[in-house]
Amino acid sequence: MKIDRRSFLGLGLGAAAGVAVSPATWKLMDDSSIWTQNWSWTPVPRDGEVTFDNTVCSLCPGNCGLSVRKIDGRPVKIEGRADYPVNTGGVCLHGVSGLQYLYDPSRIKTPLKRTGDTFEAISWDDALELVATKLAEIKDAGKADRIACVTNHGVGTIPGLFGRFVKALGSNNVYAMDTMDKTWEKTLEKMHGVHGTLGFDLENSDFVLSFGTGLIEGWGSPVSNFKANSSRKERGATLVQVEPRLSNTAANADTWIAAKPNTEADLALGMANVIISNNLYNTGYYVSGFGPGFDELTAMLKENYSPEAVAQTTGIKAAVIVDLAKRFVKAGAPVAIAGKGKGATPGSMREFAAVHLLNCLAGNINTKGGAWILSPQDYDQWPAVEMDDAASEAIEKPAMDPAGSVAGFFAKAGADKSVEALLISDANPCFALADAQAVTKAVQDIPFVVSFSSFMDETTQLADVVLPSHTFLERTEDLPSGAGMARRVTGLAKPVIDPVFNTKNPGDAILAIAKAMEGTVGDSFPWESYEECLEAVTGDLWSDLSDQGYAAVQETPPATRPSVDFTFVAQNPAPIAAEGTEADFALILVPLDNVRIAAGSIASSPFAVKTVADTVLLGKDVLVEMNPETAKANKLSQGDLAVIETPRGKATVKVNLFEGIMPGVVAMVKGLGHAMDENRYVNGKGVNINELMGPVMDADSGLDAVWGIRAKISKA
Amino acid sequence: MDSALIPEGAKRCPFPVFALGLAAVGVVVLWGVYAMGLCWFKGLNQTNMNDYYGFALWIWADLAVIAIGGGAFFTGLLRYVFGIDELKNIVNLTVVIGFICYSSALLILAIDIGQPLRGWFIFWHANVHSMLTEVAFCLSLYFSVLTIEFIPLILENRQVDKVPFFHNLGHNMHGVMAIFAATGAFLSCFHQGSLGGVAGVMYGRPFAYREGFLVWPWTFFLFTWSAAAYGPCFTLTVLKMFEKITKKKLVKDNVVHLLAKISGWMITTYIIAKIIDTIYWATVTAPSQGFKFMDFYSNNSFYGVWILVLEIAVCGIVPAVLLTKKSFRENPKLLLTAIILGTIGVCLNRWVMVLQIMAVPVMSFDTWALYIPSWQEVATTVLPVAYGVILIALAYRYLPVFPQERELNAD
Amino acid sequence: MKQDKHGKNHKFGMVVDLDKCTGCGSCMVACMSENNVPFKEDESNKKDSLTWMRVYKITNGKSFPETEICYMPRPCMHCGGKGDHGHSPCVSVCPAVATDYDHSSGIVSQIYTRCFGCRYCMGACPYHARYFNWWDPKWPEGMESYLSPDVSPRMRGVVEKCSFCFHRYQEARDLAYVEERDDIEEQEYQTACTQACPAGAITFGDLNNPDHAVSQLVEPDAHNCGKPKNPKAFRLLERLQTNPKVYYVSEREWVRKAGDNYLDGEWEKVKNNHGKDHG
Ligand SMILES: Nc1nc2c(c(=O)[nH]1)N[C@H]1C(S)=C(S)[C@@H](COP(=O)(O)OP(=O)(O)OC[C@H]3O[C@@H](n4cnc5c(=O)[nH]c(N)nc54)[C@H](O)[C@@H]3O)O[C@H]1N2
Ligand SMILES: Nc1nc2c(c(=O)[nH]1)N[C@H]1C(S)=C(S)[C@@H](COP(=O)(O)OP(=O)(O)OC[C@H]3O[C@@H](n4cnc5c(=O)[nH]c(N)nc54)[C@H](O)[C@@H]3O)O[C@H]1N2
Ligand code: SF4
Ligand code: SF4
Ligand code: SF4
Ligand code: SF4
Ligand code: SF4
Ligand SMILES: [Mo]
Repeated sequence: MKIDRRSFLGLGLGAAAGVAVSPATWKLMDDSSIWTQNWSWTPVPRDGEVTFDNTVCSLCPGNCGLSVRKIDGRPVKIEGRADYPVNTGGVCLHGVSGLQYLYDPSRIKTPLKRTGDTFEAISWDDALELVATKLAEIKDAGKADRIACVTNHGVGTIPGLFGRFVKALGSNNVYAMDTMDKTWEKTLEKMHGVHGTLGFDLENSDFVLSFGTGLIEGWGSPVSNFKANSSRKERGATLVQVEPRLSNTAANADTWIAAKPNTEADLALGMANVIISNNLYNTGYYVSGFGPGFDELTAMLKENYSPEAVAQTTGIKAAVIVDLAKRFVKAGAPVAIAGKGKGATPGSMREFAAVHLLNCLAGNINTKGGAWILSPQDYDQWPAVEMDDAASEAIEKPAMDPAGSVAGFFAKAGADKSVEALLISDANPCFALADAQAVTKAVQDIPFVVSFSSFMDETTQLADVVLPSHTFLERTEDLPSGAGMARRVTGLAKPVIDPVFNTKNPGDAILAIAKAMEGTVGDSFPWESYEECLEAVTGDLWSDLSDQGYAAVQETPPATRPSVDFTFVAQNPAPIAAEGTEADFALILVPLDNVRIAAGSIASSPFAVKTVADTVLLGKDVLVEMNPETAKANKLSQGDLAVIETPRGKATVKVNLFEGIMPGVVAMVKGLGHAMDENRYVNGKGVNINELMGPVMDADSGLDAVWGIRAKISKA
Repeated sequence: MDSALIPEGAKRCPFPVFALGLAAVGVVVLWGVYAMGLCWFKGLNQTNMNDYYGFALWIWADLAVIAIGGGAFFTGLLRYVFGIDELKNIVNLTVVIGFICYSSALLILAIDIGQPLRGWFIFWHANVHSMLTEVAFCLSLYFSVLTIEFIPLILENRQVDKVPFFHNLGHNMHGVMAIFAATGAFLSCFHQGSLGGVAGVMYGRPFAYREGFLVWPWTFFLFTWSAAAYGPCFTLTVLKMFEKITKKKLVKDNVVHLLAKISGWMITTYIIAKIIDTIYWATVTAPSQGFKFMDFYSNNSFYGVWILVLEIAVCGIVPAVLLTKKSFRENPKLLLTAIILGTIGVCLNRWVMVLQIMAVPVMSFDTWALYIPSWQEVATTVLPVAYGVILIALAYRYLPVFPQERELNAD
Repeated sequence: MKQDKHGKNHKFGMVVDLDKCTGCGSCMVACMSENNVPFKEDESNKKDSLTWMRVYKITNGKSFPETEICYMPRPCMHCGGKGDHGHSPCVSVCPAVATDYDHSSGIVSQIYTRCFGCRYCMGACPYHARYFNWWDPKWPEGMESYLSPDVSPRMRGVVEKCSFCFHRYQEARDLAYVEERDDIEEQEYQTACTQACPAGAITFGDLNNPDHAVSQLVEPDAHNCGKPKNPKAFRLLERLQTNPKVYYVSEREWVRKAGDNYLDGEWEKVKNNHGKDHG
């Protein structure tokens, strides 16, 4: 065969054209790309009809109204409910992530019973029977007062049912997790002789003086506070933040005043001194003049809390203290707030009382923009509990912690090992309480622990019986406001989806156990279901609750003018120092509340964890925040691995330098360090700061009073 | 054993030795292929790239091999278009190197993209405004040209040439080679330029951005120029390596010196342009965007100003001087120094223009990005090198790559 | 310029009040939830963490107690590019037109099934608004149930970014069409992040419509590629002429200065020169 130039070109081109027009090449190329566009392992969400359901969030005490977008009945997105009186459309990142909790890998799918070190799945009937039998045994043995119950929050009908159940057995040991609300209650008792909680009318105040409250780090009812804070500019209102580090609230405030840790009370008392000695306090408000103890208070302040003395203690210039006091009291509607961080820990009564003293002096109690004394939520009306002789006898024995402190309860339980049975609902004390190791030990020592929980959290892992609960999106529950809100709203959570797993509403679970126990215990629970109970006990509120999803909105201040008793403050209660000696522990470690990290009973969702900055969590390491000066003094630099040690424990952490924190103070975020094997999004990430903290009980309130602990840190 | 395949009159090492060598390099190839498989089947999470460092080792390797492969188009241009006949004695080598470099570049691209099976979208859904589209078109076309340029050499294998069909085919292809060489030179000029344009058009990246002529930023021209200037350095470096390994002289000195001289003058002109570009960029372009020259160099020692000194002075001015002055370039040691520095210089330029761009933050509050390649990236980057070694070894053993070999080694 | 069927060109944009932003992260999560953004076990390497909306924390660099911080939410800026002609840094470089500028809305799209993952657009975007799917998206067992059909989950190997919740725009337009209205109302098309922000820091709307809050907040200068006339407003990296459609407002000078790069002394000269070109 002879090839000339022409036939060569012809051949070449022919071959090229042949390949080009061959459908196989093109088809294969096209098919392969289409295949990449339809990988079977990339999910394709189903389409369908769009509907919206309203419910209320109970991931935190804020209780925001939610609107859940559903496709074909399947919830796909959570948004804020625009017409809900708490959050008016806004929503925090935990609320938005709510759907992730439904399918959380650590969810408990069915009732479990402990056998040795492992859990065994059992039926609901068996589980309920097991709990009823065991509790009956304890009760019959005359030890009913050794049965205790810990719920996450204290108000509403689900905690109500738990309290009622334990009472029907014959025990006073009913505890809700400690929060700043408990300290406020005790402060109000001391200073006004009333039983109630304090609410702050932030959206109408023109001068908010915050003593370390994390107004935008999730304090109280978070979204409501975000909104009030954000309208500040338009309203011309001022926010002053007193805090040793530049928190988000401090950064957002008009003025940031860095007082040394745990000297907030001193600052408040110094300001009170300025106000009183300059006769700037509001006399008009209290028609009858000031109540008992005012003269003693005046003298005591004059002696101990001169601006110069307070400047010494707090590290704030005397002139700043005087100026702040004057600006505060001269504002139109000033309000002073205490309850640090998210307000999830109680705090010192000396501090709360000193802060509230400023409110009293400003005369803003029960005024627009001031602090409102709200009577306890008592819309739920329950029939009397029936008790047999054994129960009546047992109930005479006092509660293990008379102050009602859950920290105190676990301390006692750990010390005398006398608790026979513990019921825990929606709470995770083994993670969320200071000195978590000691609490864990105490729970381990309790022979019979029943956990009503949606997740296999640190506390539930120790239970003998696990009765899995619906998450907030699967359950019905009334959710009354609290958490520092001035407005009163009771919301109704309604299921937006059928239970994903074999779970129950904890209210139904408790009803079933009571019924199984028969006798007066069973008789105390005449309702067929939790919903029936809810409808019955909420009485007048029910129609509003069920129709609009919330009820009983109160937006005006209470009409009363409570008198003030100054004697508690006038006695100049001693400050409560952080645990540890300066000689051994040169630094102070303060907990840091980060709005993006859930620090209470619930672990953060994968979405929430994703938003956490790399200056807070890096890989599995938590970063401890410190001033470059502190770092230098301890021979540390950015990113170093370091060992932090406190009187309660030690941990390996990383160093994050931050100019905005006071030298000598180090801060570590709350809510990390979960030990939840199933949930790889939180498990083993960081350190649980509660393992480094210890409760320091306040003799005046019986509550854990301290914020921070002494510490030292060195290169690992 | 394989003596029938070896070019007539050429001496080659015994087959077992050769096979052993091949096997050794083959192991490296297998390692690379394994890493490549991982990247294809598991995805680019096998690399240490990230959203800040989206272009990394591979893209540098890609640009670098294309730059050093530039000896092919430039020598082809000189030989076929400008008619510098002596270069026929080295043009085969440049074609083999070019073929290796460009096939490697395409292979790397196929690994580098997140959706290799959709790679052809760049042609089908082409965006004519994108420099990368231009790169893709010119690169693939030029690769076809290189293939066509490579075929006649293969056809000259002793056994293949015996088949009349192949003999005639080869003969005819030689006849039209000038057309292909010219086309290739044009295509290559364009894609070398577009590769430079890739960086230069990113007006959101002050470190990369350059003003320019019409739609082409100055980097467009600088890339073409530098590939032409430094490509021959690499060709000569490979030649020197060959001569060292085979312990034979393969190309006559006059050819080497001629190419070195041309390269020297190209580097000289290029480096002048590069210096002007750098000064203009540092004093006019970047400041107009709010950046001081040292903002780009003072964060970390890895991307310190040393890199600029090394690129321009040590690997630019030094080889330019060594290659342009006759006595220097005819000194074997200095020649070797110059061509090695030149090769490093152009690779370094590509590194800076791809990777340092990714490292420098633009937002005032953003952070520098540094990165260390994963072993998969290293293995897949070594893969083309190993493949190149094998291909060039085979070519040398079985094809008359060096027309002067026989004459120079007649005993 | 392309026009929509009613002859109106929208130019959707966003204004973030940095003095209101609390850094709470609701916008980030609202975006992830709205747009089926996946997550993985470790998201602490922020250089490979898909966050269409990322909230940066910036500081004034001063030492205690003069330190100040500011949170800066950063979605895709939907850059109009040089001269505001739609040659966004990313769009102009994408070789396969997998990302495009819609002249009728000003939105920069991203077509996942078109993108072949070359990442050139990521290099070109100075805001790091673009994210590559280094991994196959994976949800824990059962969690796929919450995925929304409005936005396709992305396969690995492609780039994604904030779309200004484009599907919400489509929905609003469809509704208007069905109801035989010419145009959509301001409130009908709001992005998920805007809606979720508990501080009300984000405002979204049509910059071409003087009745919309965004226009009133920043007073975009139509003759100067939308540069804000409000002296308290600024855009990130204004000097690069990317012409973003995301604006920021702050009373704080150091925050406004942090929005761009300035040589020594330059800021003093330009800080009050709003609405005019630099230099
Ligand atoms: N309302 C409205 N309707 C429109 C339009 C509009 O502008 N507005 N535009 C019209 C136009 S131009 C078009 S092209 C169509 C597009 O209409 P569709 O094709 O319906 O568009 P998408 O919603 O983008 O994708 C459809 C589904 O594909 C899924 N999907 C995503 N990736 C993959 C994958 O890899 N494999 C598989 N199997 N599924 C996947 C998505 O999750 C989604 O459920 O809509 C038309 N209809
Ligand atoms: N973020 C995001 N981006 C996407 C997509 C997505 O789902 N999300 N989808 C992708 C897909 S599948 C597509 S097809 C593209 C669509 O992208 P485009 O083609 O840009 O789509 P539209 O914006 O719907 O329409 C283009 C313009 O045509 C105008 N128009 C309507 N009718 C007429 C007419 O009769 N004459 C003229 N001259 N103009 C008319 C419209 O008003 C509009 O201005 O978007 C792609 N980009
Ligand atoms: S603030 Fe609390 S109640 Fe409101 S959405 Fe967030 S977690 Fe839920
Ligand atoms: S949701 Fe609003 S306040 Fe929170 S970080 Fe985003 S923009 Fe800022
Ligand atoms: S911000 Fe980045 S991704 Fe968005 S349009 Fe601008 S260049 Fe493109
Ligand atoms: S990564 Fe995708 S969108 Fe980006 S430039 Fe490449 S093809 Fe275009
Ligand atoms: S506009 Fe939509 S896509 Fe963009 S950041 Fe906001 S929520 Fe995400
Ligand atoms: Mo389409």
